[in-house]
Amino acid sequence: MNTIINKRLPIAWLVLTLLTMCYLWIDHAADGDAARQPSALATTAAIIIALVKVRVIFREFMEVRHAPALLCHLTDGWLLLIGAALLGSYLLGAAMR
Amino acid sequence: MTAATTRSASPPAPPAGRSLRAVGWHLRHNPKRELWVAWWAMVVFYQFFGVIFFIVTRTQPPPNPALDVASRVQWFHDNHDGLLIGFAIIFIVLGMTAPINALIAYSMRRMSVSPAFGYAYLVMYSLSAIPGMLLLCIVLTVGAYRPDRSPELISWLYDFAFLSFVGTMGVFLIGSLVWMTAILIDTNRVLPKWFGYLNLCNALTEVVVSPAWIFDRGVFAWNGLIAWWINMVVFAIYTGAFIVLLKQMIQREDFGTGPLPDLESRRHSDESTASTEAR
Amino acid sequence: MTQIKDSARHTRVVPGQPDMWAFVLFEALIFTGYFSVYLFNRAQRPDDFLPYQASLDLRIGVLNTVVLLLSSWSIARCVEAARAGDYRKASLKAGLTALFGVVFFVIKASEWVHYTAQGNGVTSNEFFNYYFFLTGIHCLHLLIGFVVLAVVIYQLRSPLRRSQQLIETGATYWHTVDFLWVLIFALLYVVR
Repeated sequence: MNTIINKRLPIAWLVLTLLTMCYLWIDHAADGDAARQPSALATTAAIIIALVKVRVIFREFMEVRHAPALLCHLTDGWLLLIGAALLGSYLLGAAMR
Repeated sequence: MTAATTRSASPPAPPAGRSLRAVGWHLRHNPKRELWVAWWAMVVFYQFFGVIFFIVTRTQPPPNPALDVASRVQWFHDNHDGLLIGFAIIFIVLGMTAPINALIAYSMRRMSVSPAFGYAYLVMYSLSAIPGMLLLCIVLTVGAYRPDRSPELISWLYDFAFLSFVGTMGVFLIGSLVWMTAILIDTNRVLPKWFGYLNLCNALTEVVVSPAWIFDRGVFAWNGLIAWWINMVVFAIYTGAFIVLLKQMIQREDFGTGPLPDLESRRHSDESTASTEAR
Repeated sequence: MTQIKDSARHTRVVPGQPDMWAFVLFEALIFTGYFSVYLFNRAQRPDDFLPYQASLDLRIGVLNTVVLLLSSWSIARCVEAARAGDYRKASLKAGLTALFGVVFFVIKASEWVHYTAQGNGVTSNEFFNYYFFLTGIHCLHLLIGFVVLAVVIYQLRSPLRRSQQLIETGATYWHTVDFLWVLIFALLYVVR
């Protein structure tokens, strides 16, 4: 019984945790001590980091790396679609303020 | 096809093509006729449902819950004829929901799971038509019937109708979960597993409707983007999927108790039995 | 459908049932719909959202995210162990996943109680309408995840029942709960 330990898993977890910590920095950098303001930059950064994290989860935890090409393309395509929908909704809403 | 060969000494072979004679033959001899009648009743009923609710009565998408009393009276006035005629037709064709529930319950009886699933679904969905559709039809008909009723009463009828229609998702939700569970533990491959999971999607979006009881404006109201529109898109996809899948189930049906044959192998065996019968 | 993983993997297989992947992608679309409605509304009327968002504690959100990431790690390790035939270890990992899930739920529930006591209840203001809605529907998926984990553990416990595909399918569902939270966290706690 030999258990093959995937060394990528703990590295993936570490990367994800560090990216999560980035949010603390974005939050602080966005307003500092001032009152909250809408910020397209902070929002875009937050969304893109989230999508990168989801991609890491897809590829490393959900094993899409070893899946047929169709699933790889489908999940990547999905991320683009979700990103476009999220950023699009935000920017559209901001434009119609 | 074994049922057909044991029924009479020499059943005539099905006439080719789609002539009236062919349809008549199928109604008399096809062992699957009840299944097909139920399936067609389902398709026809949903056409009625779509046209009457979305176009004739304009109760879907639902009107605004935030309307004031005068605007609600105006809504009844604007839709007066549509409401009365449309729902009169619904009251006549309402019986067609029975074969739909029967066909879905039949799919569960064909599965390797306990018959309790099919019966539970049948009972739940038969009852759910009352708050889920009938109440709206009756209450809005009552509202439209005497336009000179007190505006306060008309406003009350408006709330009652739409809250019951949009809000009473509980029974449908549990029914979806029953069907989902049956599909997932079934070993007869009657319906594909992805459709089992789609039942879960449908059930979850029905949970999302429940804020409609609290909010009377915005995206969580009974006509809101989240509580109604997204839910309705998922429901439409779900309904389209099960209409197609039930059709395939009937085509694949071999009246056995084991796994249902796949569609391609079923078609080949149909052709070979038809050719042996014709000889 | 299942292969023993080795360092030189030649065949590519879909992890778990393809049907579950169809569910995952479809649910992702539905949630994207909810997220888009939320983002559109808050971008349009930032003053109805921003002051109330300030009540959220970002650090708790980060903690919740890390807890779910740990749970994803443990279920991935469970799949790995099951694939190698070490079912006892796989069971333990699945149990650990459930434990992380419970920790997440307890933290989330205490957050809800805290914000409601503060005056930011479900119906108090628009931001918290969305907050409770999105975290609520996510928690519902988490609770379903516990049922899925129970099925996985049940599978692992008996040699008669073990199905690598079913275990992987359960893991796929659990990862979905995790990545949905990653998105929700970014949109509720960080987005301006």
